[in-house]
Amino acid sequence: MKGFLLGLTSGTICLTCCAPILVPYLLGEGKNVRQNMFLLFRFMIGRLSGYLLFGVLAWTVNLFIGKGLALHDLLFGTVYLILAAILIIYGFFNKRSRCAAKTLAGLFQRLSSHSSSLLPLFFGLLTGMNLCPPFLLAFTEASATSSIGGSLWFFWNFFLGTSLFFLPIPFLGVLRRFEPLQIVGKLAAGILGVYYLYIGTTMIQGGVIQL
Amino acid sequence: MSKTSGALKQAFPQNSLLKSFFLVLPMLFLTAMIMSEGGKIPKNPLHLILFVIVYIFFNGMFFLMIYTGKTDRYRAILFTTLAASMVISFISNLIETRGSMALTGEDMISGNTPFCHMVIPMILIPAALTKTIIFPGSILEGFANVATMFVIWIGASLALGRGFCSWGCFFGGLEDGFSRLRRKPILKHIPLKWSYMPYAVLAVVVLTSTLALSPTYCEWLCPFKAVTEFVEITSFQVLVQTIIFVSLFVGLVVVLPILTKRRTQCGLLCPLGALQSFTNKLNVFEIRIDREKCVDCMLCAKACPTFSLDAKSIAKGRTRLSCTKCGKCVDVCPKNAIYFHVKGTPVGSGHDKSRLLFIYPALILLATFGSGTIKGALHRILLLVTTGSMIQ
Repeated sequence: MKGFLLGLTSGTICLTCCAPILVPYLLGEGKNVRQNMFLLFRFMIGRLSGYLLFGVLAWTVNLFIGKGLALHDLLFGTVYLILAAILIIYGFFNKRSRCAAKTLAGLFQRLSSHSSSLLPLFFGLLTGMNLCPPFLLAFTEASATSSIGGSLWFFWNFFLGTSLFFLPIPFLGVLRRFEPLQIVGKLAAGILGVYYLYIGTTMIQGGVIQL
Repeated sequence: MSKTSGALKQAFPQNSLLKSFFLVLPMLFLTAMIMSEGGKIPKNPLHLILFVIVYIFFNGMFFLMIYTGKTDRYRAILFTTLAASMVISFISNLIETRGSMALTGEDMISGNTPFCHMVIPMILIPAALTKTIIFPGSILEGFANVATMFVIWIGASLALGRGFCSWGCFFGGLEDGFSRLRRKPILKHIPLKWSYMPYAVLAVVVLTSTLALSPTYCEWLCPFKAVTEFVEITSFQVLVQTIIFVSLFVGLVVVLPILTKRRTQCGLLCPLGALQSFTNKLNVFEIRIDREKCVDCMLCAKACPTFSLDAKSIAKGRTRLSCTKCGKCVDVCPKNAIYFHVKGTPVGSGHDKSRLLFIYPALILLATFGSGTIKGALHRILLLVTTGSMIQ
């Protein structure tokens, strides 16, 4: 219950952390409300996986205490770099985008044709491992529990509480007939990718220095 | 009369000297009122001379717009002068009052940073959610406070729509000026996809500003910090931000406008421009294309500085949403097929009246923003000539 309430009270912050990635993605796909529901579902599965992964991590947090900060920066820096790479590929080299960089398009076409159904899952997983303030709070609360089951249960409830705030997002599908929005969504995803590339690089640099 | 000049004369309606003079009379009165702030004529001889020079400059350009029927040619002179004057006045003022263009932490905490219209898209959602303005400026007091700039922006948007970007924005004139340095472009083809980039930047800065509760565009991207003020470099992050905004300034405001003859910052980056495009829907003025006269020569699309005309929009007889109403397409059309139009009035007639109805408020906006700035810049230049320094 504590996790659920924490999720409810901090859901808007979680939403603002995930929305910069989720909104451009949904706009870029240009699907209707029903299809967006499925995309959101996959995104949420990915997000839940990220949360549960952290439930396990929270339980084993004592193992990290020695090199806590360095590992923390290296881990999250890597997560951000992966997220950045996926966003940049999706935004600027997507198979359906009319991009000037034609030489790279072929390579990414092949890659994205296989992974398009997994994209929302990846985005969900990687944003689920995002270091927003309520998530850190949940991490701290969960790490205080004595069993792995208790830790996972806490994150599951936290996930449920925050998920309620994502329910209106699929309604972006009503805008799907406006074709330029798909281009805008993809470009926005690419710009965010560049931003996360910077964040990831500086975090890894910080982690390496601390090691 | 040769065939060409005959065609030109037919293509561009010109007014007689007398008619032009009568049409300028209201502007003579209005600009006098604006520049004198309601009738206060400067008593200092130097200020009076500057007043007269700027007054003649504005009204001279307006007269030429009416007399020749050309809009963009004279607008561009005013607009570029405004931007160059803004840079001269602003930097001189900063150095005079603060000693540097760099903003320190204390400057930002004191809340005296002048509010810039580029911040507007970023502050709206955080203001609605948190009831705070995420900008280190004063809300009601001092130079360029948030409330004043906001009211001016709303008024300008209602009056001109995205015309604000070609008649009021004191940054756009820089690239407008650079885009006119070459006679022909070197880079001719820019894929239309990139013209959607400002909307993407708008989406990203709105979302990230809401997330971070800070104006992310100002921090990371705004190229005009290079000619106004910027954060003092005290960390690696600020160094990266500085490299980014200087690169964007050199690339999008100087180099690409010269190479493409387009306003690439306005057309490919500016998030306020993207937001401003939507105000075109509210505004009564628009640019229309007479499909019966149009021969699809595409000269207008090639000339449009903000990528607001393409084959699809021309076929529909309209511009794209991003049109800044600069009038360049109207000026270059050899068939007189493009015209200013007031929504709700009959299409295909009264072109010159619609144009007049638009350029009156447009020039008033330009005079409101520009007259004081140009006077200030002239004063600084005079100081430089007479004392060897722009700083008093």
